[in-house]
Amino acid sequence: MPFSDARDYQIAILTTFLLLGVYTRDWTLHLTWVLVAIATCIATQWSLSAWQAYRCRKETPVQWPPLLISGARSAVITGLGLSLLLRVNHPLVLVGAAVGAIASKFLFRYQEKHFFNPANFGIIMALLWTDGAWVSPGQWGTDWWYLLLFFSAAGLVLNRVGRWDTSIAFLASYGGLEILRNFWLGWSWDVVAHQLTSGSLLLFAFFMLTDPRSIPNGKQGRIFWAISIALLTFVLQHGLYSSMAIFWALFCLAPSTIVIDKIWRSPRFQWQEKAQPKASSSNVSLNLQTRPVI
Amino acid sequence: MFKTILQYVRGLAITCIGLLLLTQPAWAFCGFYVAKADTELYNQASQVIIARDGDRTVLTMANDYEGEVSDFALVVPVPVVLKEEQVHIGEASIIKRLDDFSAPRLVEYFDENPCAVRRFDDGFGLLQNAAPPMPMAAESMRETAADLGVTIEEQFSVGEYDILILSAKESDGLETWLRQNDYQLPQGASELLRPYIRNKLKFFVAKVNLEEFDRSGVNQLRPLMMAFESPKYMLPIRLGMMNAQQAQDLIVYILSPKGQAEVTNYRTVKIPSNVEIPEFVEAEFGDFYTTMFEQDYQRQGRDDIFLEYAWDMSSCDPCSAPNLTKAELKQAGVFWDEDQYLPRVFITRLHVRYGRDKFPEDLRFQETANRQFFQGRYVIRHPYRGEMTCSAAQDYRRQTYQRQEAEVQTLAKLTGWEPADIRRKVDFIETNGPTPTNDTWWDSIW
Repeated sequence: MPFSDARDYQIAILTTFLLLGVYTRDWTLHLTWVLVAIATCIATQWSLSAWQAYRCRKETPVQWPPLLISGARSAVITGLGLSLLLRVNHPLVLVGAAVGAIASKFLFRYQEKHFFNPANFGIIMALLWTDGAWVSPGQWGTDWWYLLLFFSAAGLVLNRVGRWDTSIAFLASYGGLEILRNFWLGWSWDVVAHQLTSGSLLLFAFFMLTDPRSIPNGKQGRIFWAISIALLTFVLQHGLYSSMAIFWALFCLAPSTIVIDKIWRSPRFQWQEKAQPKASSSNVSLNLQTRPVI
Repeated sequence: MFKTILQYVRGLAITCIGLLLLTQPAWAFCGFYVAKADTELYNQASQVIIARDGDRTVLTMANDYEGEVSDFALVVPVPVVLKEEQVHIGEASIIKRLDDFSAPRLVEYFDENPCAVRRFDDGFGLLQNAAPPMPMAAESMRETAADLGVTIEEQFSVGEYDILILSAKESDGLETWLRQNDYQLPQGASELLRPYIRNKLKFFVAKVNLEEFDRSGVNQLRPLMMAFESPKYMLPIRLGMMNAQQAQDLIVYILSPKGQAEVTNYRTVKIPSNVEIPEFVEAEFGDFYTTMFEQDYQRQGRDDIFLEYAWDMSSCDPCSAPNLTKAELKQAGVFWDEDQYLPRVFITRLHVRYGRDKFPEDLRFQETANRQFFQGRYVIRHPYRGEMTCSAAQDYRRQTYQRQEAEVQTLAKLTGWEPADIRRKVDFIETNGPTPTNDTWWDSIW
């Protein structure tokens, strides 16, 4: 059923952003390239899922239909994320980034959990290994209505997955650092307002940083992790003058989720939760049974 | 009169991509280049050339200073202490060359006689419907300075300029020192200088040495060039807004071996381009371009940066000026690929119209691998007005009339001019049948 999964909302929202970007933000983005990115993500996801299922066929019987659909949802989100943020000279670079993004989920795992954000991993790989990729942080502008749009759209998704804490911890700590720097330098307040309303920053904070599958499981862990990313972003941006600081910070700190999960233990996030029939009409609490899905 | 123009540069270490000069897409251009909208159209347009490869930068600043030469003074925050060998006097002509090369341009096409073409037609009137070729797109000084926390790091003369490189501990001290040394600063200068001091920037201070200026025989201040190495890739525009009454124009020519440069903290938009406009605009192209720019600047919310040109400098199509020679590129600051016949250079021309309300931050740039070509280009198609004696002529006239009407609408939309006023200037082609109505009743009510 559509929209039974929080990822359906995310797909709808990211698609809307992408179309808005193409038609109102004057981007040099080809819709066919977007489709190529999404198709590559899905193809890679299914191929690697099939390969994994083949390897583990004796231990776990594979449930193909739910696996395929679930995998496709995540792959589409990764494809949309890449299209929204990564700019390339040639679609092959995008294909490479998409393959790398999905492959990272299968290659970089610890105790059945991948720790790199797939789209972020794809972006960093494209920047590292090719000459034809870049990120345009200025392209979303700083219009207030985008701010409003991002907040409301993020509300739809984050309320469902319960990951507001991560975005808020990141934005509060990064914003706090920027305000302090602004105060110390003696800039006026509109400078910091301009920095913090950057569309790219908000898009990152709400839609990339909050991927519940790759970030720490426990709430305290997530808050610690988000603050660490904010700190590293701040250092990279103002110390090394990196215009892609947020992406590098997330990439560098992704493996730390393994340690954080050991310190603040919590059950792993599952996209699909199956509600069982109510035990009695007077007791409205639901008994949830979860099933691991990639 | 004290005048500030400020620049300094920051950025990322990048890798060069090898690019083949011969692999550029070559579009056949079959029109005629007729006019360009260069920076002379703007009363106050600072022009800056940034030639950058990795952390190495050659920055050229052209002054739009128009007052008495004896009153000229310039304070520019720079990322490093510059020594005499790093500062050079450029030629004003090189900025003019870059401006001409990259200026928004008007091109024109001439329709052929539809009847003459008809002879080769297959009889189905395909040519009338065929798409036209689409255009693409001192000692005592030191003591005082020390008391005020100001250090004179370097002091030298280059050409007609006396230059000081200052570092300061406190903005109040720097302001006081500058005032003591006859620099007439506007009120509030100290507050604006502080962020740059705290960011560990140095100050490049230039005055004109009148003796040298008179001896040189030039009657115009020449551009100042500086070469330095720093990861900072930005232009500090805030000091320039200190005593500005209105929005100012800044044209930035960025030369890179890699690809387009873009601003990371403001949105970059392309100026409207590749549109067909009426013939009469040829005579008033400057007025058209400035009006259209203003219209688009307002429409975009006055907070965007405009891309006017992005091209590999080994080619141009159409060329509004001849390609720059290797010597000229070197004059413009290109320092890489010394051994090559022509260095690989990608030019990005950005037009910034900045005011204090919409541009709170200095401009920060990044280099990208984006090698998409773009040019501001406006097309004029001259109808064939000679004798036409074939059945295709009537169709041609009717379609041309419709095209002229569409050009009127395009021009009205781009400039905000009244369609009725535009129509009065258009030399519509004569049609035999009933002509489509020109003015619609709602044209004049709003």
